[in-house]
Amino acid sequence: MASTMAKGLSREAVEELSRRKGEPEWMLQKRLQAWDIYENTATPLGRRGDLGTLRTVSNFKFQELIPSVSSITSDGDGGNALSPAIEQSLTEALVDERAGLIVQRNGSIVRTELNEELVRAGVILTDLETAVREYPALVQEYFMTRCVPVDASKYTALHAAFWSGGVFLYIPKGVEIERPILAQIWIDEPGSANFVHTLIVADELSSVRYVNEYNSSFEGEQVALLSDVVEVYANNAARVEFSNLQDLGQNVWNITYKNAVHQKDGSTTWVMADLGSKVTLAHIGATLSGNGSAAELVGVFFTDHDQRFSIQTLSDHAALSTNAETLVKGVLTDESRVEFDGMIRVRPGAQQTASFLSDHNLLLSKKARAEAIPGLEIGANEVSASHGATSGQIDEEQLFYLMVRGIHRDEAERIIVQGFFEPVLQRIPLENLRNRLRRSIVRRMRGTSETEADTWVDAQERWEIEGVDEHAVSLDGPKADEEIQLTEY
Amino acid sequence: MSELVIKNLHANIEGKPILRGVDLVVKQGEIHALMGPNGSGKSTLANVIMGNPKYEVTDGEVWFKGENILEYSPDRRARMRLFLAFQYPMSIPGVSVANFLRRSLEAVREGNKPLEEGENPTGQATKRKNSIPPREFRTLLQTKMRLLKVDNSFINRSINDGFSGGEKKRAEILQMALLEPEIALMDETDSGLDIDALKIVSESVNALTGPNLGILLITHYQRMLNYITPDYVHVMFNGRIVKSGGKELALELEDKGYEWLKPADEEKDVHGQEVTVNG
Repeated sequence: MASTMAKGLSREAVEELSRRKGEPEWMLQKRLQAWDIYENTATPLGRRGDLGTLRTVSNFKFQELIPSVSSITSDGDGGNALSPAIEQSLTEALVDERAGLIVQRNGSIVRTELNEELVRAGVILTDLETAVREYPALVQEYFMTRCVPVDASKYTALHAAFWSGGVFLYIPKGVEIERPILAQIWIDEPGSANFVHTLIVADELSSVRYVNEYNSSFEGEQVALLSDVVEVYANNAARVEFSNLQDLGQNVWNITYKNAVHQKDGSTTWVMADLGSKVTLAHIGATLSGNGSAAELVGVFFTDHDQRFSIQTLSDHAALSTNAETLVKGVLTDESRVEFDGMIRVRPGAQQTASFLSDHNLLLSKKARAEAIPGLEIGANEVSASHGATSGQIDEEQLFYLMVRGIHRDEAERIIVQGFFEPVLQRIPLENLRNRLRRSIVRRMRGTSETEADTWVDAQERWEIEGVDEHAVSLDGPKADEEIQLTEY
Repeated sequence: MSELVIKNLHANIEGKPILRGVDLVVKQGEIHALMGPNGSGKSTLANVIMGNPKYEVTDGEVWFKGENILEYSPDRRARMRLFLAFQYPMSIPGVSVANFLRRSLEAVREGNKPLEEGENPTGQATKRKNSIPPREFRTLLQTKMRLLKVDNSFINRSINDGFSGGEKKRAEILQMALLEPEIALMDETDSGLDIDALKIVSESVNALTGPNLGILLITHYQRMLNYITPDYVHVMFNGRIVKSGGKELALELEDKGYEWLKPADEEKDVHGQEVTVNG
């Protein structure tokens, strides 16, 4: 087990980190180039008059942090024991449903499991450090090249210099993985800087559902950084569903950059749920560079206290007949602030594009602030594109209606919040994830009763009625008196 | 037996007086019809009884079960088993009827007491005392739905979202059936319904009447009273009840309209001018 690194981020630290990992020279060079780009790139400060999230990040004390490195060597399994919090989470999340599991704790992958059948089919699920050694050709082709280039931003360059652990998932041609692969990232070291990378390559005609969870389990004022990059390649007619549930503690800063590159007829779905962190700086993109490719982004967030989010989305249409839909809904309370910057870019020649974007915010407090800037750049003429953004407060008449049914004002607010999120949650393909998200949202709201989440989940998921009789509702038709069939559970 | 007692109730909206001294007593088991021209204050009365914050009570009292409820929040009044069927039920997109009704029933079962809220910090959920197990709730709702002949698909839909006028009114009656109020205020439940829908809704109301339910049926027209027979009929005019009688009064109103009941001293006020009225 290696000792921790010294405090601070520097060229020497990059070299030290690479040396400890015993990396090939090409990766060290990639890291060092990235460090140079980081050093030579101006810090993004945002626009004049915005809510200041980028400026806040620019003042973040990166030099006070210790970069995380792998704590296990290839021959030992020291540090492989998982904390009770992680173990508990693993027994709750998708236990019987998952096809694979990969867990990263700070700078190291501590557990990897993959269904035997998938291993035989040629699926690769491993930590990225192993992939660098064993599949260098794949990593060189796909790691921070076309999808999220090193110089995509100052912070992606920093990430490229210091990444540690990481996930590499390769799905060979024609392999369809129905059950989800679960990835968990745990931050439990205050004062640490964690650079977590996820690289997913879905080859021709393959499909995968990937569930990514960010959690932290440490208390106190001292902060930690999670800087993550996710790269998804949906090759010809491949289908990737990537769901991200970010529930970090409010002593973690999260800088995240996610992008998906599509070949012909490739399609992706991003599900983004951001509930935690002190500050989140997020970029989520879809590069639609293959004809007939499609991308969907479903996002929800809930902020409170003095949380600050900056969420940037980009639907980049660069081929014929591509589709994108971005649907984001957020609830803000206390003094939290969220900036949403949603861009639809249709490049010249990207004819028959259809692109839609909407962002709706509900403000529960007078001090919460939301700013939405939808943008359109249209370089082709055969395009159907639209965007819209709204921010508003809860309707007093709706509250009164619920209160007249005996429901306390606070609970009535929570019910309206649930209703606000529900249409977006219904777009999330995995029931397990939908329900966990409902529970997480309920937990985030003050004064919640434990049964509230149950009631919500029950009403949405379990209450399926069969044998609906149309005569019963018809106002003058024969009166039906059939037994109502309720799905038991 | 529960009683709703309204004494000399005055209320304003945005500084403008709407109720000018209403006196009325509704007891459990009785059906009262409250009639009157548009703008006479009928709906305002229902809203003020339930505590709609849009209205300001300037004088008078509202007693229910021996307590002056004017200081109580709307939800507490509902938990005392006072009910309002809205003239224009609000739609709440994304909240299914099943979710809403279960929570509403749980709340009403908490009874007449203020609910402590907002004390729990984030993530510290408490257990609700009167939680109703899903199966029990379903059985109960199923019974009520059959009683009112309401279609199953109702409960999967968002509250009043995309409901037709008739469906909204039926949904209100379904809520009333489930929450079992002791006094129900029904605000223009007949408005916007065609004759078939009116019949169905009226039958639903009749299925709920009995010694445990008192109803204040607010209506502009006599036609709903063809299906629901009131014990008493009151006529409201310009913020006050100007005449009370038996069910035959409704028929008389149908014949003669409202003009003959207009108090002489309020001649000008009907046209929106300020007048002084002697109590």
